[in-house]
Amino acid sequence: MKKSFVTGSIKAIAAVAALTLLASCSSSSDSAAKVKACLALDTGGVDDKSFNASAWAGAQAAEAAGAEVKYLAATSDADYAPNIKKLVDEGCNIVIGVGFLINGAIVEAAKANPDTKFAIVDQDGKDHGPAGDQYPGAVIDNLQGIEFATNQAAFQAGYLAAGYSKTGKVATYGGLNIPPVSIFMDGFARGVAYYNTVKGKKVVVLGWDVAKKDGTFVGGFSDQAKALQISKNFEQQGADVIFPVAGGLGAATANQSMTGGKSVTIWVDSDGFVQAPQFASVLLTSVVKGVGTSVTAAIQSVIDGTFSATNYLGTLENQGTFLAPYHDLESTVDAALAAEVEQLGADITSGKVAVS
Amino acid sequence: MNKFKKYIEETSKSIALPLLAFFLAILSGGLLIAFSDPKIYKLWKSPLEFLGTGFASAGHAYLALIQGSIFDGNLTSKNFLLGFYPLSETFVVAAPLILTGLSVTLAFRAGLFNIGAQGQFIFGAIGASYVGFHYNLPPVIHALAAILGAIVLAGLWGGLVGFLKARTGAHEVIVTIMLNYISVYFLLWLLSTQTFLRKGRQDPIAPPVNENARLPKLFGMDYRINLGIFIALGVAYLIHILLSRTTWGFQFRSVGANTLAAKTAGMSVPFVMTSVMVICGALAGLGGAVQVMGSEYALTAGVAGSFGFDAITVALLGRAKPLGTVLAALLFGALRAGGLTMQANTTTPIDIVLVIQALVVLFIAAPAMVRAIFKLKNVKSGTDMAAKGWNG
Repeated sequence: MKKSFVTGSIKAIAAVAALTLLASCSSSSDSAAKVKACLALDTGGVDDKSFNASAWAGAQAAEAAGAEVKYLAATSDADYAPNIKKLVDEGCNIVIGVGFLINGAIVEAAKANPDTKFAIVDQDGKDHGPAGDQYPGAVIDNLQGIEFATNQAAFQAGYLAAGYSKTGKVATYGGLNIPPVSIFMDGFARGVAYYNTVKGKKVVVLGWDVAKKDGTFVGGFSDQAKALQISKNFEQQGADVIFPVAGGLGAATANQSMTGGKSVTIWVDSDGFVQAPQFASVLLTSVVKGVGTSVTAAIQSVIDGTFSATNYLGTLENQGTFLAPYHDLESTVDAALAAEVEQLGADITSGKVAVS
Repeated sequence: MNKFKKYIEETSKSIALPLLAFFLAILSGGLLIAFSDPKIYKLWKSPLEFLGTGFASAGHAYLALIQGSIFDGNLTSKNFLLGFYPLSETFVVAAPLILTGLSVTLAFRAGLFNIGAQGQFIFGAIGASYVGFHYNLPPVIHALAAILGAIVLAGLWGGLVGFLKARTGAHEVIVTIMLNYISVYFLLWLLSTQTFLRKGRQDPIAPPVNENARLPKLFGMDYRINLGIFIALGVAYLIHILLSRTTWGFQFRSVGANTLAAKTAGMSVPFVMTSVMVICGALAGLGGAVQVMGSEYALTAGVAGSFGFDAITVALLGRAKPLGTVLAALLFGALRAGGLTMQANTTTPIDIVLVIQALVVLFIAAPAMVRAIFKLKNVKSGTDMAAKGWNG
């Protein structure tokens, strides 16, 4: 009885193995000259509703232009290098690293595989030497850095917030004091200052000091309780527009806006009206970072044969960053203010107004 | 000859359970893979196609798992030996896992449950990284110094647990879990300080480890496999000797088997507990050193991955024996390395691999269930581990 069960299962296993061997031999010969674009994601996973999700959406948008796209997610930092190697071995024409932590592995892979194109989101994509301390680094011919001038859209948001505020106080806070975060806060604060100069007002910004380059930070991107506390404190100090720059922690602030009813929230990275519709009633606008747009552009450049190591800079002009529509709160925004904000965007692009 | 036969019999009895547990885990994992493929839900009406599709997607996934952990014919186009690249990756992942696994194994044998390998790994990584990037020493000496830094730091961190247990009776499970949290946040804080911040970067990554402090690669630049795997195997042998051939090891086992008897026999229980935890810490710390010096070359916030937690599984699967731990770590290394390929070649999410690992533990933790399923008698269910529950 027992014996027959064992031999039976061995036969079954052998049969399955034989079947799959046959199947795998027959199914790998239909790749034409399509450009294969591959994403190496970080540990956030493809459905993080933020960074990785935007990048993957951008890659899928490039599918329409004739690219074959795929992604690999990582479970820990140790997976980055093997994942990238796998994508290179598989014959990906361009490998895009999503997230600053992947930078090291991408730079190494780019140097080792000159025939494959690479891009890295949120880093300059330069070789900073063996000790990582040579600035500015050397250009790597097959690696494109993707960076964003998010301070342009944040500047608009600051101007908007200053004009929108009834209390004359607006606030911002960040996850960590790192450049991809502080650039938003700096732009926001300068936008408020610009409003004050133009209008002769004295709107106060809480949470960021332009001169000291420091301000209010949660200390990470996952502590909802602390983000909520910061938001409450801002409200108590009289701020009625709050701009959290801490990824998903914006939900804590938007929650406070909804329950407290004393403030509105400006969402960050993606259009909050779409990504977090439950907060639609308190979202004034969103400062969008076009990770998806940049990924689409990088893949498109490979399809067109125009890829270069010159960095992609997301600006208002190329829609790499922009202010989202006001959606549900449109009726509360003064039409004249809305027009000024739009004009401000054009002035930033033309260089008439400096954002930093 | 008779002795040899007896040995084989004994061994086959004691490995039967882990093997069967693994088989069950693979089987249920296969079901999960099959049902995670959305195609299959459209085939309810034709049972044959339904089964075929299910078998095919599970088979594809497991084939990719093997391709990603042992040999991949697709990589042989330039050089046949490159086909073994996946095997080398298995060793790369296994090396730190062997060391953290040994840390848990050794603690088990002395009656302690070391949940703290994760924290000890982090401290080892910190020690190796700091010595590795801050000093400029000649080759070999620099690597040895970095390893020493890791062992000392992690040894002290582990020893703290043994000391607290021996002196105050604080339960090592609670202490190690809490120390894990402290380690993680200490690392995050450390990576924000000027000393550990890489120039020009604001994100949590330390400067790269100097060339001289890196572990040499074994088969050239095409493979990531490095000396770490031999360090791990050597250390595993040393632990085997320690446990089976030395007085010190006998003391460890005695305290593990019966604290009171050991005390009556004149052994110093506090000394044994502290010293065993120092070694456990050093072992896990060495794992951290191998990771930083062998494959990652830089300290990051996520450097420890889940090496310290997988170590518990590895030690359980290895039945708290050095050889078993090595084999279990190699298996887990293969699962991790192969999991990446499984994700790349099929649509199976990498999380399935983690589920299979969890199932292995589940089945091992329930020997009665495995025995019932396979209608087994006479299979040794006890392990050599002596860790006890709350009253130990």
